[in-house]
Amino acid sequence: MSTEESLTLDKRLALVSFTKDAEPFIVVDTNKCNHCESKPCLYICPAEVYAWKEKLNYNTEGCMETGACLIVCHKIGAGAISWSYPSGGKGVTFKLG
Amino acid sequence: MSLGGFEVAVVGAGPAGSAAAITLAREGVQVLLVERGTFPGSKNVFGGRIYSYALKRLLGDSWKDAPVERFVRKEGITFMTSDNAFSVEFESKDPEGSFTAKRAKFDKWLAEKAEKAGASLITESRVDDLIMDGGRVRGVVAGQDKIPTDVVIACDGTTTGLARRAGLTSMLEPNQISMGVKDVIELPREKIEERLGLEPGQGAAHVFIGACSGGLRGGGFLYTNQDSLALGMVVGGDDVSSHKTQSYSFMRKLRQHPKVQRFIKGGKTVEYDAHMIPEAGPKMLSRPYTDGMVVAGDAAGHLLNNGYTFRGVDMAIQAGVAAAQTVLEARKKRDYSANSLKTFERKLHADPALKDMYTFHRVPAYLRNRRLYTVYPELVCAAAEAVYRVDGTGKKKISKELRLQAKGRVSIFTLIRDLIGGARTF
Repeated sequence: MSTEESLTLDKRLALVSFTKDAEPFIVVDTNKCNHCESKPCLYICPAEVYAWKEKLNYNTEGCMETGACLIVCHKIGAGAISWSYPSGGKGVTFKLG
Repeated sequence: MSLGGFEVAVVGAGPAGSAAAITLAREGVQVLLVERGTFPGSKNVFGGRIYSYALKRLLGDSWKDAPVERFVRKEGITFMTSDNAFSVEFESKDPEGSFTAKRAKFDKWLAEKAEKAGASLITESRVDDLIMDGGRVRGVVAGQDKIPTDVVIACDGTTTGLARRAGLTSMLEPNQISMGVKDVIELPREKIEERLGLEPGQGAAHVFIGACSGGLRGGGFLYTNQDSLALGMVVGGDDVSSHKTQSYSFMRKLRQHPKVQRFIKGGKTVEYDAHMIPEAGPKMLSRPYTDGMVVAGDAAGHLLNNGYTFRGVDMAIQAGVAAAQTVLEARKKRDYSANSLKTFERKLHADPALKDMYTFHRVPAYLRNRRLYTVYPELVCAAAEAVYRVDGTGKKKISKELRLQAKGRVSIFTLIRDLIGGARTF
């Protein structure tokens, strides 16, 4: 496998440091997602926070805090996502940016 | 707990916030700069380049100790198909007009300038809300802390949390945002210089249009740091969603292109970054001020993508300074009402650098034309192939070849309409 093919998203995310936030800063009303045709969160998120496996699963630990999921969910999707930044000092830290 | 004694709270220690804090602190204003990251810059991502003029104006000679990676001397643009590329390069004579940087260093450095000027910086503090008093902003709430101030300057970034709370904007539309993703790829500095054709220490900026965005609104970029390349893709929020293509998947398309491969081959990817870009410009807010608050930087759409230059940090600094000057005038009058703060908008329009946002206000609509990412890069590459290839089968004159290549791709009428549209837009 070439280096290009082996550079998966998981490997990319392992290059970024995340500090877990005890309080949930993203909350999804996943019942709404069952009726969502477009599921735009799956595509806009650069960190695959959202995944579909019979229902919507989400894992905020790799969240890069772009906030784009909130916009597409409410404007194209089912309006299921509540979103805020993680609490102060928590979440993603970019060492270079 | 109530944190008292501050006249102004500046939310967000990015370029806009720090520029505002510097401007205010120099005039002896008690200013608190609030940052949610562990240090200023730790949450901030950009493509890679800063135009120097804004820093020179803000800091005078002391801008020289900015954490510059490389001054950009070489500008390039590549129109690409999946296996071909047509590139144009230009070498600027301006030795220090713009430079590449890393935000983790740059934003930290600029916030330190604010502290040296007398501003108080607190980090790891997320502003959750505004203190409201009958429709007027009277400070901010950060976790357990209530921070009453005379006025707030919101520089809290693309998600525009505070502007939304103050009712200055509803949520942005998907076609008003883009998603930017970026790999930072380490390479020895000599290799960078050799591959990009640079003198030692000089830098390059390069834009890629065409196959890398798979026909969607967007494109790629490359900036040279000292010992690394910042390689990224920006794609439209609406396009990514409706085409059911993952935003980061475009990185592979870009990286695998032969032209890009020659730049990055053998490099080691050391960081992955992402950032949402508000593309609507200043019209994303109904107005950038309200009773007791002004909004500057990304949060107010103070940035410009006109298709060939991408400007965020310089505009944010200019807007931050303008916001601070507005506050200083209001302070003299002891009047922080919307009516008093509305001079901010006049300042934005009068600033020769920020005026560019209004000059190029038609660009976002023009850039939604899909032909820019499909037909035209293909046409340019096919025409170049036809013009340069000599294989003994007989050559046509260039004008005839162009017409032949355009045929079936785009009608002459559409082509001319797009050209005229472009001439009016740029």
